Amino acid sequence: MNSNIIPTLALIVAAGILFGYVGPTWSGAITEKRLIIDSDNQALIAATTYATQQNQLAAARNAIDPVDLSRLAAFLPSSVDNVGLILDLNALAARSGLTLSNIDVTENTIAGAKVSAVTRANPIGSVSLSLSAIGTYVSLQTFLRGVETSQRLLDVQELVVKGSDTGVYTFQMKINLYWLR
Amino acid sequence: MALPPTIPTSFVPRSASATAHRFRTDIIGTFGYIAYVMLGIIFVLALGVFFYDRILASTLVARNAALMKAQKAIDLATVESFVQLRNRLNSGTTLLANHVALSGFFRLLTTLLPSTVRFTSLHLSVDTTKKVSIEGFGTARNFNALASISTAFAADGHIKDAIFSSIVVNRDSTVSFALSASLDSKVVAFTP
Repeated sequence: MNSNIIPTLALIVAAGILFGYVGPTWSGAITEKRLIIDSDNQALIAATTYATQQNQLAAARNAIDPVDLSRLAAFLPSSVDNVGLILDLNALAARSGLTLSNIDVTENTIAGAKVSAVTRANPIGSVSLSLSAIGTYVSLQTFLRGVETSQRLLDVQELVVKGSDTGVYTFQMKINLYWLR
Repeated sequence: MALPPTIPTSFVPRSASATAHRFRTDIIGTFGYIAYVMLGIIFVLALGVFFYDRILASTLVARNAALMKAQKAIDLATVESFVQLRNRLNSGTTLLANHVALSGFFRLLTTLLPSTVRFTSLHLSVDTTKKVSIEGFGTARNFNALASISTAFAADGHIKDAIFSSIVVNRDSTVSFALSASLDSKVVAFTP
């Protein structure tokens, strides 16, 4: 009778270790740790990929002439800066022989359908400037060419020309300007 | 004379209780053996689980440290600058492809318009599809002048769907007209 007790106790202890420690630890803490380690491994792989791509991108960016980068920033600036643009337009008009009489922001087309080329995927903001001017036909052409070849991208969306017998015309324009939001 | 081993030395039969006792002793011995073996196996298994758990814990600490280091190596400002540059390049390309140069229309008009015809007003508008619409009012010296500009527009082909309307002969024989047309997008396409 006594000789059965110790093996039975051994079995009970074995069962206790199996179900009380081995099972819960394997399915609990160990599984959880393995999942976290797997996730960490994936994140580390992503980090390595990122570092590689960052180096490639940095090399590609460094290959671009800094002057070109600054021109690109002027082409599509990070802020609206319509006041600075109005000053530039005024200077351009003066150089072209036009007299600007009125400049105003007419509408904000950031999320509107006015800018067809700009989709929601492109983080571009746009504003329309309306301006009135007086000058000759030649000065209008000079001004238009200046606007079209401006370092900051400007699109003339609307142009109204009213003639007179004196050779001095009245112009009304709507110009779209863009910026990177 | 020695007896062969196959011949029993005693005719007294063995007791049944002694046989049963030996059988039970064997069973108990096997049970004990199995119990101890199982305890040993499970003990070793528990040790393995314990050490594996410790190894995983230390691996986790190392991975977390490596991840933190990798995370610190990521400069958000650099990422932002890359995103900005990409957006600027992509958006700039799209915008430049749709850039409109209305001066092209005036160059074309200068070549097509005879001196006998003049516009008193012109309204150019660019819609979302980059289509340029022309609305204008003008005066021609006579009908022949008006006909010549109509022919010139048709022959050139860049000023499309030109419709001359509201044609009125004035007292001084000049002809007033209204023009409605659309413009070929190639004329106003920007070329650097």
